[in-house]
Amino acid sequence: MDEKMKAIYNAILEGDMESAVESVRVALDTGIAPGEILNNALISAMEKVGQLFEDGEYFVPEMLVAARAMKAGLEILKPSLVDSGVEPVGKVVVGTVKGDLHDIGKNLVAMMLEGAGFEIVDLGTDVTPNQFIGAIRDGAEVIGLSALLTTTMPAMRETIKAIEEAGMRDQIKIIIGGAPVTAEYAKQIGADGYAADASQAAILAKKLIA
Amino acid sequence: MKPRERVEMTLNHERPDRCPMQISFTPEFAERLRADMEIKGKQVHNPHGGGNTYELERALEEDLLLTSVGWANSYYMDDKPYTDEWGIGWTVHPYETLFGKGHYTEIASHPLADDAAISDYQAPDPHRPELYAASEQTIRDFKDEYWIVGVTVTTIFETAWALRGLEQMMLDMVTDPELANQLLDIPFKYHLTAAKKLVEMGVDMIWTGDDVGSQHKMMISPRMWRKYFKPRMATFISELKAINPAVKVAYHSDGNVLPIIPELIEIGLDVLNPIQPASMDPAEVKKQFGDRLSFWGTIDEQKTLPFGTARDVANEVHQRLETVGYDGGLILAPTHHVQLDTPLENFWAMVNTITNTPYEKL
Repeated sequence: MDEKMKAIYNAILEGDMESAVESVRVALDTGIAPGEILNNALISAMEKVGQLFEDGEYFVPEMLVAARAMKAGLEILKPSLVDSGVEPVGKVVVGTVKGDLHDIGKNLVAMMLEGAGFEIVDLGTDVTPNQFIGAIRDGAEVIGLSALLTTTMPAMRETIKAIEEAGMRDQIKIIIGGAPVTAEYAKQIGADGYAADASQAAILAKKLIA
Repeated sequence: MKPRERVEMTLNHERPDRCPMQISFTPEFAERLRADMEIKGKQVHNPHGGGNTYELERALEEDLLLTSVGWANSYYMDDKPYTDEWGIGWTVHPYETLFGKGHYTEIASHPLADDAAISDYQAPDPHRPELYAASEQTIRDFKDEYWIVGVTVTTIFETAWALRGLEQMMLDMVTDPELANQLLDIPFKYHLTAAKKLVEMGVDMIWTGDDVGSQHKMMISPRMWRKYFKPRMATFISELKAINPAVKVAYHSDGNVLPIIPELIEIGLDVLNPIQPASMDPAEVKKQFGDRLSFWGTIDEQKTLPFGTARDVANEVHQRLETVGYDGGLILAPTHHVQLDTPLENFWAMVNTITNTPYEKL
């Protein structure tokens, strides 16, 4: 890896926001293509973060600081990506389902998806089925539903049912997650997949739109 | 056998007549249960046990009574938005189940979200005598009969993250250890003072702890736990035992905390709570640590109680008695307050199976 790319990669792994911003600037200034910076520094660093999380080296705090550094670098890179016509790999809408206000899991998923090259629309917390349906109309390809509580889990089923009733089920992939949620539950309610953590959610979303 | 003797035996790793039982409820489930049992309550039920009058707990033949002093009492304080005495803002959020509507109180704002607010922050005073009046009465009225637990959960991390915001608190722990220590000390000092006072007053056990586990693995690394929480928890336990060497200490963390159990034992822990079965296999935890540690909880609140059948619940209780409780060292309890989505048949299957299964008949 080029030294300048390596600097971005390391800054993200170490969660060093200032270095990430600075090293993205340097890479752009020396003429490295924005798409290459995105794919070979930012996305590959976040893949490594996901791997370290799976391996039990990184935990939520380390993932958060890495994602924060990645986002800061991405902000610098974004105008150049637009200018050079680099498109996101897909559009994902995330939110906690109706009744649920617990958002750390959903936020981590959004960060890891963004770090995997997706465009993210974060609808926030306590999101109604109609809001998700609106987001599908606006061009989302994947939606991610999150719930922490057994009392709000049923809203996942209701959201999927509402999407079916709106005649949109075939045009969207639906993934779910949250503490009480399981792969078995995903199957029961007709979701396309379940991810146990944010890193796996990014892998799953890529697989579903491939 | 008196409930307190039953608990004392089990925590000494001896087998009492039956497994001791502890159950807490959300306020709405408590209301439903009162109607079912035709018991009139005097006030809204506090699941952490601050100011409760224990009609339900005693009628159910629970063995432990909880009395809480600390930030955890800020949950369920009102049915409209409020700010607690720590300056933490709360919102009230409704939900609906097959068995009626309820509400959760949820943290909505953090007084120390801005760095500038931290240096001048004044925590509430843990020395106010009125904080301990309810606990004093609980001890006076019930200690002869029941095992009294002083509750100071959300001891360090959870109160700090409510003050600061969870994501920011975790960022601080990585990027600014000095600031993180300053923040963590605020609730730590408060709850240590409260716990010491409760031990002086005569509680049998202190229930402390913070969620540091998530569903499948630890939320923070064991390394980070060692850096911020182990030393504080070691101080906490040793200061309580210096006041009364016989007092027991129970530590709470949701989720998977397998990697830190040996170190919790090392710093003098007696009881681990709640052992969520989807996160850590209770039988395996017993096998590895059961000679040095007792367990409190283990009945699944994420699947079996709300979504299983009464038979599933009874089977789970039996399984725990056979694989964890067989030689003592177990207090059966749901892994969280019983929620409104739990069918009463399931609730009664849990209670009746525990109270009607003497160990000698296993």
